[in-house]
Amino acid sequence: MEQLLAIWIEPLAQEQPDGSTLRDTLALLDALGALCPFTEVARLGLWVLPLRGPSRFFGGSDAVLRAVRQSVLDVVGVEPLLGVAEGLFCAELAARRALIVPLGASDAFRRAQPLSVLGRKDLTITCQRLGLHTLGAFADLERARVAERFNKHALALHRVARGELSEMEGQRDVRLARRLAQLRGEEDLVEEQRGFFGQRGAGDDRAEAAAHRVRRRLGADAIVVASLRGGRAPEDRATLVPWGSPSVSARDLAPWPGQLTAPSPATTLAHPVPLQLRDAADRPVVMGGRGTLSAEPTAVIFSSPLRREIVWYAGPWPLVERWWSRHSRRAHLQMVLASGEALLVVAESSRWWLVGIYD
Amino acid sequence: MFAFSPPRPSLSPELLATLRPVSLAKSRTLPLGEPWRALVPGAGLRRGSTVVVEAPVGLGGLSLALSLVSEASTQGHWAAVVGVDDPGVVAMAELGVDLRRVLFVPRPRGAWAESASDLLDGVDLLLVRAPSRAAHGAARRLMDRVRERGTVLIALSEPRTPWPLPADLFFRVTQAEWVASSRLDARYLTVRVSGRGEAAQGGEHVVVVPNRRGRAEAR
Repeated sequence: MEQLLAIWIEPLAQEQPDGSTLRDTLALLDALGALCPFTEVARLGLWVLPLRGPSRFFGGSDAVLRAVRQSVLDVVGVEPLLGVAEGLFCAELAARRALIVPLGASDAFRRAQPLSVLGRKDLTITCQRLGLHTLGAFADLERARVAERFNKHALALHRVARGELSEMEGQRDVRLARRLAQLRGEEDLVEEQRGFFGQRGAGDDRAEAAAHRVRRRLGADAIVVASLRGGRAPEDRATLVPWGSPSVSARDLAPWPGQLTAPSPATTLAHPVPLQLRDAADRPVVMGGRGTLSAEPTAVIFSSPLRREIVWYAGPWPLVERWWSRHSRRAHLQMVLASGEALLVVAESSRWWLVGIYD
Repeated sequence: MFAFSPPRPSLSPELLATLRPVSLAKSRTLPLGEPWRALVPGAGLRRGSTVVVEAPVGLGGLSLALSLVSEASTQGHWAAVVGVDDPGVVAMAELGVDLRRVLFVPRPRGAWAESASDLLDGVDLLLVRAPSRAAHGAARRLMDRVRERGTVLIALSEPRTPWPLPADLFFRVTQAEWVASSRLDARYLTVRVSGRGEAAQGGEHVVVVPNRRGRAEAR
């Protein structure tokens, strides 16, 4: 584990209603960031920075401690408690006692701590009745013995006591960084109608309740949500799943070579409609094996006796993918009809299908 | 104030600094993106209003309606799409709609008005394409609930089956023209914007929906 310098400032641990705590926290973060750019605020009142780099830069850990103490005095005007140990858990304990735990001694330091530092009253009392008073004695218990008495949070604490985890749950305030960014003006407060600080908002709950109502009325598959996945054609890239089914993992969409370029059809048919293309002599147009058309298409005939003239077309853009599957060769064709509609048509297994309408 | 009321003591600057509002009051309009910001009075969609988009079939009505939704969706508002059978999800993403906050009811069968009013409480924008000509009563009830709940209703219709009631804001696509090179590049839509109040004088504009990147923009 990395040797950390923890700074504990009691007056900044409680948030004041006038917002001065956050402003001081931000000012001190800027000042300490000038000493070591890896300084972070674990939670209000507790700052942490890795010691190794700065001590090489300033010439020894004593010089770092002096510089940090001076800069806290300058900015906040309070004497801070400084502690050095390995891992955030030990570092905070050391800071509250103003101790410098030498490198490699953090294990012994942690094992000698009383159980009350874990902050769980039930655990402390039960263990004391069993004659276990220190973290070391607790750590020596078998994992299964802990699991049969306590819940999973106690199991996590057990791992902390053993030194397998470097910090306790709740030791860091995960929302603090976002609040500081908002205070700095880097993040807009009203940009998204989310809940406070990235949680689920009231809007999300309302939407969920509304989706439930529709589902009760029309059945489980009636309400769907959409997401994108990788693929070349628009009909491959869209996923529509019933609302409430396990969410598709949102992968970041990397560039996908050979993708059909934007704009995409605003209507993408889930079930393609068969159609025929005809040339000027009213013969069917077919796709050749090398991705060429047998003739220029001039008209499109839907399965109903509905014939439309084609005024412009582009393509075909053949896609050869999934060569192991039988229906692997596809080719897309964009066309504009005389009525002004634009269509996306695909040739697959020697037939033409309508897959999209640029509605 | 009254003649005898004493002058107000001025607040100290330190006190004023602590009295800054935490967040802005809830705004009464939903934001509109390009190019509509410049073309719609108030530069936004008023909550509780009904917007009708009328276009001949296949001439860009759906793209236009989705481009009205996109900016609000990016800014965190929920939207629902009712009665659009096969939504082009990729096109929606290209227009800037945030798919994480869109609910679809693709085939509400006979219950389009019921499912729309179910969704009203949960979303800020409701895009509805009535399956055939919308009944007068159903449309009236839906619009009343929309006004009450502060949602924005966007109704998609065709000239053959118009929305039965007058709307607060009315977009009519009169002409659509594709520009193509080796592929479809852009579509120029001629749109008549009219409505009530400030929008009453109306105007005809040409907008590009979608452009080469699939987005909406002014010409």
